[in-house]
Amino acid sequence: MSEKETLNRRGFLKIAAIAGVGLAIEIFLPGCSDNATPTVNPSATPGVPTQPEPTGTQSPTAILEPTAVSPSCLTPSVYVMIGNDGIVTITASRSEIGQGVRTTLPMALAEELDADWAMVRVEQATGDKAYGDQTTGGSKSIQECYMLFRRAGAVAREMLIAAAAQTWGVEAASCVAKNGKVSHTTSGRELEFAALVDKAASLPIPIVNDVKTKASKDFYIIGTRIGRVENPAIVSGQAVYGMDVKISGMLYAAVARSPVIGGTVASFTDQKAREVAGVKDVVKITSGVAVVAENTWAAFQGRNALDVSWNEGKNASLNSAELERSMVGNASNQPAPSGKLAATYVVPYLAHATMEPMNCTADVRADVCEVWAPTQNPQAVKSKVRSLTQLPEKAITVYVPPVGGAFGRRLEMTLGGGSLPPACDYVAEAVQISKAVGAPVKVVWTREDDFRNDIYHPLTVIKASASLDDVNSMSFNRSQASASVPLGNWRSVGNVADAFAHESFFDEFAAAIGADPYELRRTVLNDRARAVLELAATKAGWGTSLPQGVGRGIAYHATWGVTHVAQVAEVSVDGDGKVRAQRVVCAVDCGTPVNPDVIEAQMEGGIIFGLTNTLKASTSIENGRVKETNFDAYPLLRLDESPQIEVYIVPSSASPTGIGEMSNPVIAPAVANAIFAAIGKRVRRLPILAPAG
Amino acid sequence: MANINLIVNGSEYSLDADPATPLLWILRDQLDLMGTKFSCGIGQCGACTVLVDGRATRSCVTPLSSVAGKQVITIEGLSADGQHPLQLAWISEQVSQCGYCQPGQIMTAAALLAKNPAPSDDEIFVAMSGALCRCGTYPRILQAIHKAIELGGVS
Repeated sequence: MSEKETLNRRGFLKIAAIAGVGLAIEIFLPGCSDNATPTVNPSATPGVPTQPEPTGTQSPTAILEPTAVSPSCLTPSVYVMIGNDGIVTITASRSEIGQGVRTTLPMALAEELDADWAMVRVEQATGDKAYGDQTTGGSKSIQECYMLFRRAGAVAREMLIAAAAQTWGVEAASCVAKNGKVSHTTSGRELEFAALVDKAASLPIPIVNDVKTKASKDFYIIGTRIGRVENPAIVSGQAVYGMDVKISGMLYAAVARSPVIGGTVASFTDQKAREVAGVKDVVKITSGVAVVAENTWAAFQGRNALDVSWNEGKNASLNSAELERSMVGNASNQPAPSGKLAATYVVPYLAHATMEPMNCTADVRADVCEVWAPTQNPQAVKSKVRSLTQLPEKAITVYVPPVGGAFGRRLEMTLGGGSLPPACDYVAEAVQISKAVGAPVKVVWTREDDFRNDIYHPLTVIKASASLDDVNSMSFNRSQASASVPLGNWRSVGNVADAFAHESFFDEFAAAIGADPYELRRTVLNDRARAVLELAATKAGWGTSLPQGVGRGIAYHATWGVTHVAQVAEVSVDGDGKVRAQRVVCAVDCGTPVNPDVIEAQMEGGIIFGLTNTLKASTSIENGRVKETNFDAYPLLRLDESPQIEVYIVPSSASPTGIGEMSNPVIAPAVANAIFAAIGKRVRRLPILAPAG
Repeated sequence: MANINLIVNGSEYSLDADPATPLLWILRDQLDLMGTKFSCGIGQCGACTVLVDGRATRSCVTPLSSVAGKQVITIEGLSADGQHPLQLAWISEQVSQCGYCQPGQIMTAAALLAKNPAPSDDEIFVAMSGALCRCGTYPRILQAIHKAIELGGVS
């Protein structure tokens, strides 16, 4: 891309690409709106920073109209618009957080539309109830939206077929659509969608339930390895994340927050901060003291120059190691009475550590508010903005940029943690600061802000027990630390600790009775679960010999009870106790594989994400302060530490289920069980390479 | 404040800025080159990697003064048309998940291939181990680097 294109409020994020090939371009709504002219700024020359033209607030809701808005495009639902240029614009209602949903949901729609995928452009929905629930969490987007998007495509296809039938004066039943065209089966006549749009737009929209959807044998898009739509923009540096939003007149803010979780501002002096070049203002907001500046660096420098005294509050003496000791008690040291087995498992506080730190841009004006929020829950953001601005819902627009990692951090929901309300925390800051200074503001969190102000995976202790004469007797007593620490959804949520405890304890049980852990699992699992277990074991060569110091561990889990995943890990432990996951074989049954490449990527990514917190990284709290505040102390797994990973997908025509949180919980027990196989030692606390407490 | 000259993606700039400002913020806030990402701010993750006179450099800890007169290449300048072998390979191997770290990954790999057009896996590990990815795209990063070499490296 040789010319930088301006960031236009309407066109923002309308990044589309011909899948798999070609360059990303910013596409504007084609043809169906007066203000839809592409704005390319050819004068953007090096050395002259481009200032986006203020465009005013334009309605982002044109595509929400439930009926065709003009004869030049067909918009039978909020999810799809077909222009008379043949461009199919599909609106993804869920957030793209790396899981591929901006590709897979449009694939489901394009399949039923019988579209030519090369003509498909993908837009991101703003936060709006018109799209139904937009919450991107619980691995539910495909599960909840797959048929919705298919039906939206089928409705549009039926209208195009009806238009063709009318044009030719034939029965609709004698016409078929495929690959962007409608053809008359008996005469062989063909018309492209582009030529049918005007007529189709004048026809009544069929009732959704009356429209037939395809048999899976006819799929030509679903089930294929179509490339992710935003990839060309990502690799050329053109993808505009929340962190990259820049609008006319925008200021930058950094917020000083309490070093102690839950603390509040007692008093502050801002004289030195205001002396920093580029600092424009200092304002107190709910979460702390915000320094507002002309650029990010000045905001950071200004914040460093603030002098703030804090009311540390009740967490001032909070220590996670003490909490953990009190929760574990003596249980783990009690020898099990004869014929019984007992073990205690610990998963500590964990930070999400998204590569893109929290950030948000807000432009609060007297009568409207626009927000750019890298969020998994734009409707929750909208509600929050509404409560903060007192503006009516229709005056608020929430844009959702592609999100640089989420893993539940941006779900805007908490699992408790006392009186702390961190949902929409970064959004609230941007809105409050923009309102206070009367200008658009981007609030940028540093990495340290992000680690210190996360909504953490809870410190969890699970006490397991069983009678060795009954494989079905295993019971688990789970508790979470009750401290006033914000707790949130951390990729796979409770499944992480549950899978670690259940699958590790199963392995301990098998060893205690002298059984093979794989064979014993086969006796207790249902058919679908057993199939993934057997697939993983077979591909991994379960039972074959390994070198000294290398062990093989197996684990199975179905996160949220829907997607079945089994993994076999081969792990080496060297003389210094260094643990290395060398190879992981993963089998998954997620129903119909909508895009096998995206599924494989999520399995691979989940394993590596999980290995970081299985082996190396966790969050601890001392005197109410988070100790690990950057990647030096919260080390992510690295390329050279990454195992060889093989993924096998079970063929299925069942309803598709989620993939985002399915692989991550399985790796910890698979590795722990492999360590036992390698050196005979049990691991019952994560991360494995960190000393307890 | 001082006037500092540098060359970014082939164009010369004269910047009136605090010489201690990290190059990252000059690129992002002043030159509108948003492809170079902010993540850790202490040179620990590689998301902000650019080439300075051909060397992979963490722009978040590189003061503007230290790049005066030097050639800086960002992801936007890696190729004129997005067709650099690494960019093509990153697409063919479908590396990206969230994608936020990938410009830094690609620039790190570009510096490696410019110096060593046929690196071994061990050499790739050494060069790439400081470029962090939370989504866990490492297996595909490794594949994509091999693919880029196949496609013609960095000729």
